Amino acid sequence: MRYFRLFATYLRLGVLGELEYRANFWINLLQSLLELGVALGGLAVVFTHTDNLGGWQPDELLALVGVYFLIGGLIRTLIRPSMSKFMEDVRQGTLDFTLTKPADAQVLVSIQRVEIWRMVDVLIAIPVLSTALLRLGAQLGPAETLTFAVTLLSGSLIIYSFLLMLSTCAFWFVRVENIQVIFMSMWQAGRWPVSIYPAWLRAVLTFLVPVAFATTVPASAVSGRITTATLFGSIALAAALLLVSRWFWRLGIRFYSGASA
Amino acid sequence: MAESPVIQIDELSKIYTVTEREAGLVAAMRSLVKRKTRDVRAVDGISFSVSEGEIVGFLGPNGAGKTTTLKMLSGLLYPTSGRATVLGFRPWERNRDYLRRMTLVMGQRNQLVWDIPVIDTFELNRAVYRIPEAEYTRTVGVLTELLELAPLLRKPTRNLSLGERMKCEIAAALLHRPWVLFLDEPTIGLDVTMQRRIRQFIAEYNQRTGATVLLTSHYMADVEALCKRVIVIHHGKLLYDGDLSGLADRFAPFKTVEVELQNGAGGRPLDRYGEVLVQSEGRITLRVPKVETATVTGRLLAELDVVDLTVQDPPIEDVIEQVFSQPDGATSHLPGTVADAPFDSQKQ
Repeated sequence: MRYFRLFATYLRLGVLGELEYRANFWINLLQSLLELGVALGGLAVVFTHTDNLGGWQPDELLALVGVYFLIGGLIRTLIRPSMSKFMEDVRQGTLDFTLTKPADAQVLVSIQRVEIWRMVDVLIAIPVLSTALLRLGAQLGPAETLTFAVTLLSGSLIIYSFLLMLSTCAFWFVRVENIQVIFMSMWQAGRWPVSIYPAWLRAVLTFLVPVAFATTVPASAVSGRITTATLFGSIALAAALLLVSRWFWRLGIRFYSGASA
Repeated sequence: MAESPVIQIDELSKIYTVTEREAGLVAAMRSLVKRKTRDVRAVDGISFSVSEGEIVGFLGPNGAGKTTTLKMLSGLLYPTSGRATVLGFRPWERNRDYLRRMTLVMGQRNQLVWDIPVIDTFELNRAVYRIPEAEYTRTVGVLTELLELAPLLRKPTRNLSLGERMKCEIAAALLHRPWVLFLDEPTIGLDVTMQRRIRQFIAEYNQRTGATVLLTSHYMADVEALCKRVIVIHHGKLLYDGDLSGLADRFAPFKTVEVELQNGAGGRPLDRYGEVLVQSEGRITLRVPKVETATVTGRLLAELDVVDLTVQDPPIEDVIEQVFSQPDGATSHLPGTVADAPFDSQKQ
């Protein structure tokens, strides 16, 4: 509850801060619309040749694009800006201010910057996803909806934990911004269902960089193709990664307190 | 109330392992794989205690270990060995009850959010520290009055001057009304007027709240105005802990003798009287051991055409410089160094 209030404060500050740079909104909107155009155009091209891609129907792929934008929007709005700020703080020593606050440092670090204009991705995702869901409507019962919500949540948590762990490396290596760039380019692969990729890449996108859990898995929940094993696998992985990333974070803090100047 | 110290440090040490590499590309490449490390004793077994309500100046040249000590006390660093308690807490356990009662201000670093008005950063700290509305409003009111913040609060941080920003930084760090303040060079880079404002404020805050303050500064004016007591560290070791006035006696048992000569020095060697600090036209400034001041001035007056002569205590800056020019581990024989000074007037 308390952290919720804190988050609300950061959110408000994000709005205030970005109101100062209004042009950003239009640039981001343009960028996101372009990206959406490319995504939808890609789908259109593919489906003029075939009506089935790796077992996925057009509407299911539309749902995937929606999920891709939704979670991508969350990453770009909250996780990535906060993690960038965190890495900057490590480099400049201003992390000290966060660590002397009487609140959980991991939470503070994770919600500390909200790039509100990036929400356009989420705004774009909603109509795309709604359209897809409506067209798939017949197959969507309460169970599927619940499964969808659960996989969406665990997918977000998986990506969050993963990015947190990557960023935590800043404690040891200080300059690790490039890791984020690498992640974001891997993330782009999530625009397509992982089943279309060769086995090795599928394995990479599932286990090494768990993009699949945040995109393909929730999207397969709406198209009713998700297996129970995948569902529980996703939940278990989310829980495990949350714990591991927490542990890793603490390790990083301990290192920082032990060695930094 | 029992007089148990607010800050108590025993044999506190911090050793950093730093990586080092030789200059050059090859060495740089090699260091990507394997790094040479070296231990640096940043803080080397220091002990002291500070009582409630004291303002203590923590002095030392760059790299002496001041900031490292402050960081250990504010819970940011684990010590390598030794003990420390502040308000009864071990700082590096980062107990929330402790963090809520202390604050850290670093003059070189900023906690205000860059793009938003100052008051919004205050709001953020209010949420983080969970300060009740009424108390928050009252504290902001008091700080605004004391630091004259009213015209600044609505401005984004990036539009403030360095001095204005520092005032706001300090206010942001005090919203939760901490009992212990660690101020690491709070006046650095500020102009003289602003330094004085900050100084007055710290004194005022200390008087009003009885908060304990540990302050580092390179400006002796800060120290002279605020701290009765100073702790001097050098190369991680404690050199001096006591009254500011005692510092000069202990480390710089010299007087500064300034003479104005009728016809200039006229080629006469002046270093027979003392170490020549400044010599311009007819004015000469000499450093003379305190015990010899009377003899030397007598001789100056007798042997030279003196127009004017003044004897002064050396400025505190010079005292400090004198302290820090001591070689590593020289603590024990410091007062004795007088005899090794580069002149020996006794032989004359």
